[in-house]
Amino acid sequence: MLQKKICMLGGFSVGKTSLVRRFVQSIFSETYLTTVGVKIDKKSVALPDKTVDLILWDLAGEDDIGSFRVSHVRGATGLVLVVDGTRAATLAAALTLRERVEAEFGAMPFVLLFNKSDLADRWVIPDSEIDELRQLGWQIYLTSALSGEHVDDAFRQLASMVAK
Amino acid sequence: METLRQLLVGREISELSRVTHLLDEPEQLAVAVGGVLPGAAARASHAQLGEALAPAVERAVQRSIQKSPRTLTDILYPVFLPAIRKSIGEKIDQTFQSLNETLRHIFTWHGLKWRFESWRTGASFSEVVLKHSLIYRVEHVFLINRNSGLLIAHVTADNATSEDPKLISSMLSAIQDFVKDSFNEKEQSGLDTIRFGDLRLWSEVGPFATLVAVIRGNPPEELHEIIRDVLLRIHDECSQALEQFDGDSSQLAGVETQLQTCVELKQEESNQGFPWLVLAAVLLVSIPAGGWFFLSWQSGQRWQAYVSRLETQPGIIVAEQKIRGGQFYIAGLRDPLAVDPQSLLSGMQVDPARVHSQWQFYQSLEPEFVLKRLTASLVPPDTVRLSIVNDRIVAEGEATATWINRAWAAAQQLSAGGPVFDISRVRDVSPEEREAERWQAYVSRLETQPGIIVAEQKVRGGQFYIAGLRDPLAADPQSLLSGTQLDPARVHSQWQFYQSLEPKFVLKRLTASLYPPDTVRLSIVNDRIVAEGEAPDTWIDRARAAARQLSAGGPEFDISKVRDVSPEARAAEHWQYYVSRLEAQSGIIVAQQTARGGHFYISGLRDPLAADPQALLSGTEVDPARVHSQWQFYQSLDPKFVVKRLTASLTPPKSVQLSIIQGRIVVAGEAPAAWINRAQAAAQELSQDGVAMDVSQLRELDLAELNQLRQAIQTTDIFFSSGKVVPGPEQMPVLDRLADQIKEFAQSARKSGVTARFMLTGHSDATGRETANASISAARAETVRALLNKRGVAPELLLVRGAGTFEPVVPENSRTGSSTNRRVSVTVNLD
Repeated sequence: MLQKKICMLGGFSVGKTSLVRRFVQSIFSETYLTTVGVKIDKKSVALPDKTVDLILWDLAGEDDIGSFRVSHVRGATGLVLVVDGTRAATLAAALTLRERVEAEFGAMPFVLLFNKSDLADRWVIPDSEIDELRQLGWQIYLTSALSGEHVDDAFRQLASMVAK
Repeated sequence: METLRQLLVGREISELSRVTHLLDEPEQLAVAVGGVLPGAAARASHAQLGEALAPAVERAVQRSIQKSPRTLTDILYPVFLPAIRKSIGEKIDQTFQSLNETLRHIFTWHGLKWRFESWRTGASFSEVVLKHSLIYRVEHVFLINRNSGLLIAHVTADNATSEDPKLISSMLSAIQDFVKDSFNEKEQSGLDTIRFGDLRLWSEVGPFATLVAVIRGNPPEELHEIIRDVLLRIHDECSQALEQFDGDSSQLAGVETQLQTCVELKQEESNQGFPWLVLAAVLLVSIPAGGWFFLSWQSGQRWQAYVSRLETQPGIIVAEQKIRGGQFYIAGLRDPLAVDPQSLLSGMQVDPARVHSQWQFYQSLEPEFVLKRLTASLVPPDTVRLSIVNDRIVAEGEATATWINRAWAAAQQLSAGGPVFDISRVRDVSPEEREAERWQAYVSRLETQPGIIVAEQKVRGGQFYIAGLRDPLAADPQSLLSGTQLDPARVHSQWQFYQSLEPKFVLKRLTASLYPPDTVRLSIVNDRIVAEGEAPDTWIDRARAAARQLSAGGPEFDISKVRDVSPEARAAEHWQYYVSRLEAQSGIIVAQQTARGGHFYISGLRDPLAADPQALLSGTEVDPARVHSQWQFYQSLDPKFVVKRLTASLTPPKSVQLSIIQGRIVVAGEAPAAWINRAQAAAQELSQDGVAMDVSQLRELDLAELNQLRQAIQTTDIFFSSGKVVPGPEQMPVLDRLADQIKEFAQSARKSGVTARFMLTGHSDATGRETANASISAARAETVRALLNKRGVAPELLLVRGAGTFEPVVPENSRTGSSTNRRVSVTVNLD
C-alpha cells in the first residue's frame, strides 16, 4: 500500500474543488474548506506495477497569498497547481504559491492544470505562454471539471511522478 | 655540492623546515588543526566518529555535571519541562477522576457492594469504584506519520466501524495544524483530547508518529500511560522506518500487532449472574417463619396495650391476666358505671373470641362515679351544674326549694367514706320569681326603644300583658322577645301604630318618600333635618311640599342648602362664569353672547396683547366644542396696553420710567432731547384717543458739561506730514489728551443712558492723484483709531471714514492750505 500526500493549490474560485468532486473518494463535506481551511480527499491511481493512493489536501483558495497556511503542505510529496484559464491573474497566483512552498519545503513534483477549458470564448491565456511553460519541462494539462477532460490523465501523471 | 643542493632542492628544504617548525610548535599546530577540524569531522564516517567521540563526550558531560549541574539543567530544561508538566497534569486528573467517582458512588447500593469487594480483595475502595464505573472500549487506533499526516497503520476493534481511515488520519492532522495555527500554539505536543459525547479521541505525540486512540465510554486517566507506552515501544522498534516513512507502509507491518494490544483494552460491566435460585429458596423458608414470629409478637403487644388501657380506666381494677396457648385470660372488679371492658376491645385488634374475662361488680367511691350516681338519682334541673373540685362534688346554680331538699338528703347519706357533696352554692329560686324578673327586663328594654311607648303592663296568673304605641319603623317588640327566655305564648301585647315625630323617624320616612338624588345628603343637625347638595328644581319642589306638611309639631326640614341644578342650568352657570371672567379681562370687550340649543355664541373685540379667550376656557367646565367665538382685533386704550405698545415703539432709554398712575400714563426721567420730542408727539397723538399721557416730568439730559467736552473733542485735529499716514511725534501729546477726553465723554454719556460714538474722518491735501488721496485719508483715520485704542479707548466706539480731498478745512491754495488739510478730525454722535 503506497500513499502520497498531495496538495492542491490555486487562487480563489479556480475550480479546485469542482475538479476533484467527480473524480475522487471523499467523506468530508465542503464546509471543512471554510471552517478548517482544508478538505481531504483520496484518489486511487492504478499504475502498471502498483496502486498509489493520492491523499489530496484541497487547501482553501486564497487570493491573499499572505494568509496561505503553508504548514498544511508539510510532508507533501507533490502539488497540483490549478489555474483558471479565464483569469490571467490566477496563473500568477498559482506560481507564487508554488514558490512559497518550494522556499519552505524544497522542490517537489507538480502538475499544472489550466482549468475551465470548456469556456473557450472567455479563454485568456495565450497558447504561446503555455508552450513556454512546457518548454521548461512542466507537466501541463488543459482540464475541464465540467467534461472531465484530462483530469484523470493529470492525476495519473502526478502519481507516476511521486511513486518513483 | 652544497651550492648544487641549494640550487636543486633549496625551495623544498625551506618548505620542509617550515613544516617541521609547524609540527614542532604546539601553538602553531593547534591553529592549523583547528582550521581543518570542523571540515574533517563533517567528512568522517558518522558511525566511526560517534564511536570515537562517545567516551570523550560522556566524560565531558560527566565532568560538566560535577562542575556545575546548573548548566546542563538549563540546557535540558526546555526539553524536560513540558514532559514533567504533562505527567503531573495527568496525575492530578487521575486523582480527581478517582475522587469524583468515589464521591458519586459512596452512598449507593453499588457503593456498599463495592465496599464489600474492596474488603474482600484488599484493594482500596477508590480503585474498586474506578474499576466498576469507568466502562470503556478502545475502538480504533491510528498510527499517523507526524510529518505528512499519512496513515501508517490502523487497527479496529470487533464490530467497530469508521470511514476511510486514510482520510481520517489526514484530516486529524489537518485539524491539529488548524488548532495550532489558529491559536498560535507553539507547543510541540498537539491536540491531547477531542471529546464528542460518548466518544473520545486521545492522541499521543511521538517524535515521528502520532498515535490516536478512539475510545467509547469513560476511560481511566491511566489509559494515557498505556497508550504512551505502546507508542514508545513502536518508536523503539521501528525508529528508522518511521523516520524514513514515505507513504509505503509495507516496511511497518509489524506495528499492527502493537496497536492490537491497545484495541484490546476495555473495561466492561461484569455480568456475573445473580444467584436468583438461592435467593428464592431462602425467601421461601424465611417468609412464613418470620411471619409467624411477627404475628405472635404483634398479638402479645396488642394484648398488653389492652390490659394497660383497662388499668388506667377509673372504676376498673385488674386483679389478674395471662396468655396461654394463644388465649387471653383476665379477671378483676368493675363499677357498673365504668366503661364496658368488652367495648374497649374494639380498635385494639385483639380477637374478642380469644379473650376470657371474669368481672365482679362493686361500687367505686371515686368522685367521678359518685357524681354519676348522684346525677342519675337527683336529676338536677338545667340551672344546676355539678362538678368535681379537689375531689369534692360541688353543685352550683339555681334550683327550686324542693330539689334543694332532696340534694341535702343525698349529701347526708354520702358522708360515710365517700367524697363531700357541697350544695351550699345552689340558690333557691322558684320559677314564678324567675319569670317575673325576666319580664321586667323585657319591659325596660322596650321602653328604651325609640318609637315605642309603653302605656301599661302587668303580670297576672302566669300571663304577661303589655299595651302602648309604636311607630311602624321602630323595632318589632315580638322580635325583641327572643333571647329573654320568656314564653311568647304567655305574652299578650296590644300596640297602636302612630307616627313618631322623633327626627330619626322623620328622616327615615322622608328618605323613603322623597328618594333624594345622590347629590343630596340628608342629616340631623340639632334636631333639625337638613338637606344639602344639588338637585334639579323638580326635586326641590317636592322637598319643599314635604317640608310644609311636616311643619305641625314635627322637626324642621331645612332645604335651603340645596342648590337648584338642572343640567342646562349648570351649563349656563358655567358659561356665565366664563363670560364674566372674559369681561374682567382687560383688552377684551364682550359685545354679545347667547346660549342657544346647548351651544354658546360670543363675539367682541380683543387686543392682540390681551389674554387668549380660548386659553381662559380651560378650567371652566365649558365644552370648547360648543363655544363659537368671533373676535375682532382692536387696539385697546387701556393704559396697560398703551404702555406695552409705547415701550415697543419708543424704546425709552434706561433712565426713563413709564408708569400708570390713576389711569394716566406718566413718563418720567431723563432723556436726550430728540427722544423727549418723540415722546411728546406720541402724547399728543394719544390725547386725541382720550388717553392721558403725562410727559411733563421728563427732563432733558444735563449735557452742558458734556457739550463743553464735545466741543473740545470736535475742535481737536491730528496733523500729518505730506504723504505720511502716521502722525509725527509732536502730535502724541494731542492724541493723549484726545484719548482722555473721549474716554471721559463716553463714560458720562453712558451714565446718562446714551451711547456716544466718535467718527474719525481722515483728510488729505490735493497733491497727487485722487484715488491715492482717498486711501491715504482712510489710512490716517485708521492709524488714529489704532493709536486711540492703544490709549485705552474701546474700539467699538470709534468709527472711521476717509474723506479724501472733499472736505478741506481751509482752501487748498491758502498759505497753510496743504499742511492744515492733512489731518484727522473727530465728530461726536449720541444715540
